[in-house]
Amino acid sequence: MSAATHAPMDLVAIRPQAGTQAFFRHRQVGEHVLVTNFEGNFLLLTQAEFTRYATGSVAPDSELFTRLSSANFLRASYDVRKAAEAVKARRGFLHAGPNLHILVVTLRCNETCIYCHASRANMDRVDTDMSKETAEKAVELALRSTSPFITIEFQGGEPLVNFAVVRHVCEYAGRRARELGKQLQFTMVSNFSLMDDEKLAFLVAHRVQLCTSIDGPEQLHNAQRKLPTMDAHQRAVHWIRKINQRYIDMGLDPTLYHVEALLTTTAASLPLWRQIVDTYVSLGCKALFLRPIDPFGFADRTRLRLEYPRSAYLEFYRNAVDYMLELNRQGVQILERYAGIFLTKILRGEDPNFLDLRSPAGAGIGQLAYNYDGKIFSCDEGRMLHEMGDSRFLLGDVRTSSYRDLVGHETVRAMVLASNLDGQPDCVNCTYQPYCGTISTFNYKNQGSIFGRMRESSVCAVHKGIQDYLFEKLAARDPHVLATFERWTTHRPREHFVQEPTSSPTTSAPPVQSPAEP
Amino acid sequence: MQSSYPDIPAGLVAHDLTDAAVELRVDPAIYPLQAVYGAAYIFIDRCYVFLDRPAADALRVTLTAKSGQADVGALRALIGEFANELISCAWRHQITQDNRVLLETVTLQAIAGAMGPPSLDDLASFDFSDQGFDDPLGIAMSWEEKHGKKPPPATTSEPTGDTTGDTTGNPTSGHGVEEPTP
Repeated sequence: MSAATHAPMDLVAIRPQAGTQAFFRHRQVGEHVLVTNFEGNFLLLTQAEFTRYATGSVAPDSELFTRLSSANFLRASYDVRKAAEAVKARRGFLHAGPNLHILVVTLRCNETCIYCHASRANMDRVDTDMSKETAEKAVELALRSTSPFITIEFQGGEPLVNFAVVRHVCEYAGRRARELGKQLQFTMVSNFSLMDDEKLAFLVAHRVQLCTSIDGPEQLHNAQRKLPTMDAHQRAVHWIRKINQRYIDMGLDPTLYHVEALLTTTAASLPLWRQIVDTYVSLGCKALFLRPIDPFGFADRTRLRLEYPRSAYLEFYRNAVDYMLELNRQGVQILERYAGIFLTKILRGEDPNFLDLRSPAGAGIGQLAYNYDGKIFSCDEGRMLHEMGDSRFLLGDVRTSSYRDLVGHETVRAMVLASNLDGQPDCVNCTYQPYCGTISTFNYKNQGSIFGRMRESSVCAVHKGIQDYLFEKLAARDPHVLATFERWTTHRPREHFVQEPTSSPTTSAPPVQSPAEP
Repeated sequence: MQSSYPDIPAGLVAHDLTDAAVELRVDPAIYPLQAVYGAAYIFIDRCYVFLDRPAADALRVTLTAKSGQADVGALRALIGEFANELISCAWRHQITQDNRVLLETVTLQAIAGAMGPPSLDDLASFDFSDQGFDDPLGIAMSWEEKHGKKPPPATTSEPTGDTTGDTTGNPTSGHGVEEPTP
C-alpha cells in the first residue's frame, strides 16, 4: 500500500504574496497542505485555505483566521514569548551533557550476523575484552557528565561473553552513583544465547533493562543471525519469555516491564511485514522499531545483498504500521518506535531525546561510546567506523582524557554544528525541520562529509517518508488512529530500572529514549 | 579529452579516460571560493584534487582517480557528485551567514551545557600559556609598565605650548607630565 498520489499544487497560479504571514514552511500532504512554523506548530489546510493564507486574503472574522492566529502563523498577532517558550521546550536537551554511555565490554560474539554493525571478533579474541580497570575509568568519566540522569548501556560484541566486567560495572557504578547523587540506570543489548539462570538473577537483581534483537519469524532470524546450532531465534525467544515472566512474578506491570527487542530491516524483511509484527506481538513486545539497515560494519560489505531502495522500505513501513494500527483497533497494544518519536515532537511539542533524531544530534553532547580498549568516541557509529579503519570520531582515552576534554572536543563541536538543521541546505526550508534530525557519522560514511547532502541522503528520504505517512494519518482524522497516536506519545518512566540513590539529585531528567505507551 | 555531454552546457567539464581524470570549470562569481574548497576536499579520499585559475573569471577543478582507472560512467558520476556537493557547500555558506546568531547560540548552549563549569582540578591543570593575547591598548598592563614611574612634583616638565592645560589630571590626555610608554 503506497501513498495516495494527488496532483501537485500549482504555486504559480496561487500567486503568494508576503505580508500578513509569519514565517512558515509548507508541503503538500495528500489533499492537504501542511504548514509548520519556526517553533514547530503545524496546521493541515485545505488547498483553498492555503491559497487564502498564502495570498494574504484570510478574512479577520473567519474560523481560519482564528486557527492561524492561535497557532502563531500570522505576523500581526505573532507571540514572540510563546514561540521562545516552545523552542526552549523542544531544545531542553541542550543544557545537559551526555546521558547515554555505551560500554563495549568486548568485541567477541558467538553469533555471526550478516549485517553486523559492531565489527565483532571471534570467540578466541580475548584481547578484545574490556578490563575492570578500563571499565572503572569509563564509569568515572560517565558520572562526571552534567546530565543528572546517566544510562550505562552494555554492548558488544556480545556483552554476556565478558560478564565479569558487566558484573563489576554494575556494582562499582551503582556505588559511585550513590556517592555522587546521580540517577543511574543500566541497559544491556544481548542476543541472550549465553544467558543462564545465575547471570539473569544478577541482572534482574541489579535492575538491568534487557534488550535483544529479533529479526522477525524464526526462519528469517536464523538465516540472518547464525549460531553453529542454528537456533538463535529459539534461544532468544526462550529467554524473552522467561524474563517477561520473571517481571510478572516480581509484581511489575508487564505493559511497562518486558524485554525490548530491536529489528534490523534487510531486503529479506520487506515482504514479511505482517509476520514480523505478529512475531513481536506474540513475544509480548509492546514496541517495534522498524529501523532500516545501517552502512556500518559487515553491512557495508554485504550491502549489495541486504540493501534496498528507500521507496521499498517506505512501502514496508506503511504496510507494517497500517497493520499495527489495525491491531490496536482490535485491542492489541503495539507501537512503532519511529512514529512514537516523531509524534511526540509533532503533537506534544516536546523532544523525547532520541539522540539520532534531534537537532543538534546527540553525538558527544548526548552520548559517548567507550571501546573495549579504553578509546572513547562521539557515538557508537563513530566507534564502528574506527573498527573499520577510520578514527575520525575518536575523542580520547579513559586513561588520559578529562570529561571536559571529551565533550568540548573540536570533533564534537563540528558535529554539533553539522547536525543543526538551521545550517543545513534543504532542511532550512523543509516543513519537517522542527521534528527532524540528521546523523553526522552516517553522512560522513555515505557522502564524505559530516554535513552530507540531504536531498541525496537515504536517511532524509526515510524521515520525510515516515512523516508524510504520519501527517496523512493525522489529516484523515480517524478517531481510532488519533487515539492510538495520542497513546503512543504518552511516556511513562520505568522507575524500577532506576538505581536507588542515597541522596536526591537536584534535578531530574527523563531517561534516554523513554518509552511511550504501546 | 572528451568535453561534450548532452546534459551539461559546453565547455564546463571534460574527462580523460587515459588519466582517469575530470576537469570542471567553476565561475567564482556564482560559487564562493570557500564552497569550492569545501566541495573539493571531500573527494581527497578517492581522488587527487588540483585547483587552479586558468583565467581571471574561472576556477578549474581537476579530479584524478587514485585508482588510476575509471570508466566513462564513473567519471560522469564524479562530475555530477562534485557539482551537487558544490551547490550544497555554496548554499550552506550562505545559510551559515544568514543563521549565524542562531547556530552560534545553539552550539554554545550545547557545548557549555555538556561541559559544565570547570572544577578546581580542571583549573589547576589548565594551560594558560597557549592562550593568544592581543592587548594593543595595554589594558592588562600595570600603571607603571604602561606609563613609567611618576617623577617627583618638583621636576614637572614645561608645558608643551598648549596653555589651556588639562585640569583633569588625566596623564594620557597629552597635556600631562608624562608621555605614554610606547
